[in-house]
Amino acid sequence: MNNMKNNKNMKNALKWAVVLAVVLCLPNIIRNDYWMVVFVRVLINIVLVLGLNLITGLIGQMNLGSAGIYALGAYSSALFVKNTGLSPWLGLLVAVVTGIVIGLVLGYPSLRLKGVYFSLTTIGFTQVVQIFLNNMTKVTGGSQGLKSIAPFSIFGFQFDSYIKSYYLYVAFVLIAIFCAVRIVNSKWGRLYRSLRDNSDAVEMSGINIADVKVKAFIAAAIFGTVAGAMYAHFYGYISPSTYTVDISMNFVLMLLVGGLGSVSGAMFGAVIVTILPELLRGLGNYYLITFYIIIFLGILFFPNGWVEAASRPIKKIIAKRKKEESASGEK
Amino acid sequence: MEKNSILKLTDVTKRFGGLLAVDALNIDVKEHSIHSLIGPNGAGKTTTVNLITGVLPVTSGTVEFMGQNVTGKKTYEIARLGIGRTFQNIKVFQTMTLLENIMVGGNQLTKMGLVRTILDFKGAAGEEKMLREKAESLLDKLGMYHLRNEYMKNLPYGRQKISEIARAMMTDPKLILLDEPAAGLNPSERAELVKVIQQSFEEGFTFFLIEHNMDVVMNLSDDITVLSFGKKIAAGTPAQIRDNDEVITAYLGSAFVKNKEQEGAE
Ligand SMILES: Nc1ncnc2c1ncn2[C@@H]1O[C@H](COP(=O)(O)OP(=O)(O)OP(=O)(O)O)[C@@H](O)[C@H]1O
Ligand SMILES: [Mg+2]
Repeated sequence: MNNMKNNKNMKNALKWAVVLAVVLCLPNIIRNDYWMVVFVRVLINIVLVLGLNLITGLIGQMNLGSAGIYALGAYSSALFVKNTGLSPWLGLLVAVVTGIVIGLVLGYPSLRLKGVYFSLTTIGFTQVVQIFLNNMTKVTGGSQGLKSIAPFSIFGFQFDSYIKSYYLYVAFVLIAIFCAVRIVNSKWGRLYRSLRDNSDAVEMSGINIADVKVKAFIAAAIFGTVAGAMYAHFYGYISPSTYTVDISMNFVLMLLVGGLGSVSGAMFGAVIVTILPELLRGLGNYYLITFYIIIFLGILFFPNGWVEAASRPIKKIIAKRKKEESASGEK
Repeated sequence: MEKNSILKLTDVTKRFGGLLAVDALNIDVKEHSIHSLIGPNGAGKTTTVNLITGVLPVTSGTVEFMGQNVTGKKTYEIARLGIGRTFQNIKVFQTMTLLENIMVGGNQLTKMGLVRTILDFKGAAGEEKMLREKAESLLDKLGMYHLRNEYMKNLPYGRQKISEIARAMMTDPKLILLDEPAAGLNPSERAELVKVIQQSFEEGFTFFLIEHNMDVVMNLSDDITVLSFGKKIAAGTPAQIRDNDEVITAYLGSAFVKNKEQEGAE
């Protein structure tokens, strides 16, 4: 019994080691600036989606406010760094504080508004953020956006190339994965899932749902604003037109493709939804429509996510083999 | 010797618009007893439980639990004071395993916040172990240990229903409110349920039981309160209630017949 568990852990560790090795070697294999930018975007998206997964994946509230959270993370860090001339690392900290505030702002309506009403509120939030960024021209630069945002640096070493940023952001993603796994696999992850299934029973267990949910929203928003800061300091340029409800939708698609609630699913979804359109660009005008058709058919046929769908036949084989083993063991 | 009361309802009233669902109800549940609330459909039994647990606000009257006025308190606060509950229409976590369902019930016993859970490996593992062991021992007591890794939605209705008792017991409540726990159970599950309630009572739990099945009620109860159209029409021991003419006309007559029919059908 114990042996089997160890074996499974070993296999898991091996799987992740292989993935990490590939990720670390990627720049040497690809050697192409265009694709490096795409990969950096994958990394940024992973961070955001790991946060969204807590709300939409586990608690089960459809959050279309990602773009707004993302935008405020990017702008708060960028504005701080541009206005003070201080390090982007402090900007990152400002983004985290911004995340805490957003979590409070979005967390409270989530307590009162159910289903589609909550989703509409989050869309409203994204719109308000966009209007605000467009119109506060003096502060935000309006539709022109902000230029020359400093990249991250450590002791004078600037992460100013695609490859350098890529490796820095791999480190960011590892930290984000660590936090996400610890939350999802803990009593908190379990509590979030139970809220999705039945909040009355949770409350009757003596749990202050308001408190739990608002904290979950804060955690999720911090992932989102950190992703925003990563975006700002990588591109060096941000403008309101990036942060539309469309990209909020895309983040939700990432979750649906990967399968709601699982960390590996969220990551897989971020990879697919970011990379697939780039692979389809050869189709010219038809690339986006092809992309969405593939995604929607995928979600339709594999409602539990593509990861689960792919692993189902494998699990079946394992279950069958186990049955045979135990049958022969009984003789 | 008179026992102390653990739960006391004084003139508790609930109106839904023009409907008087609970009418100046007085109930006194004694410490370490099994107190049943019976009455025809729509009498206001579930509403009473919702008033006790703060799910619904009372229109007037007071609810006291262990000498403390809990009227107007939030549901989770009342739960924390030591009241557990199951639901007439089961409320379980369908997409989670049986064990996970029970563990959620004990979440309040743990102390670590989100950040500490992320960083403190040893502490988090310790809390997890505590919750798991406690949930497993409760499942063992309810004869469902072997089902612990099954998803709730794959379990028969009766098992799902009984699992709510285990979930309610995770926080060691002083008082457990059971809203029709035997409804929808087959005879063997029902026997199991009676055993579980009896055994838990012996361990020190107090029960407030709503139930239509008169075998269960008469077997288990120390005291019975009878409700009809929101009004208390009788209160007393099982023997007193059985012989009360008003109760027989308002409720027992039909209920006894119904129960006999049900048993015949099964
Ligand atoms: N939230 C509500 N709003 C309006 N009316 C309600 C509400 N809850 C219950 N009622 C009404 O109050 C009355 C009492 O309902 P309640 O559910 O308490 O009955 P009950 O004794 O539990 O019945 P049963 O044996 O069928 O479970 C019923 O007429 C019901 O329709
Ligand atoms: Mg009822």
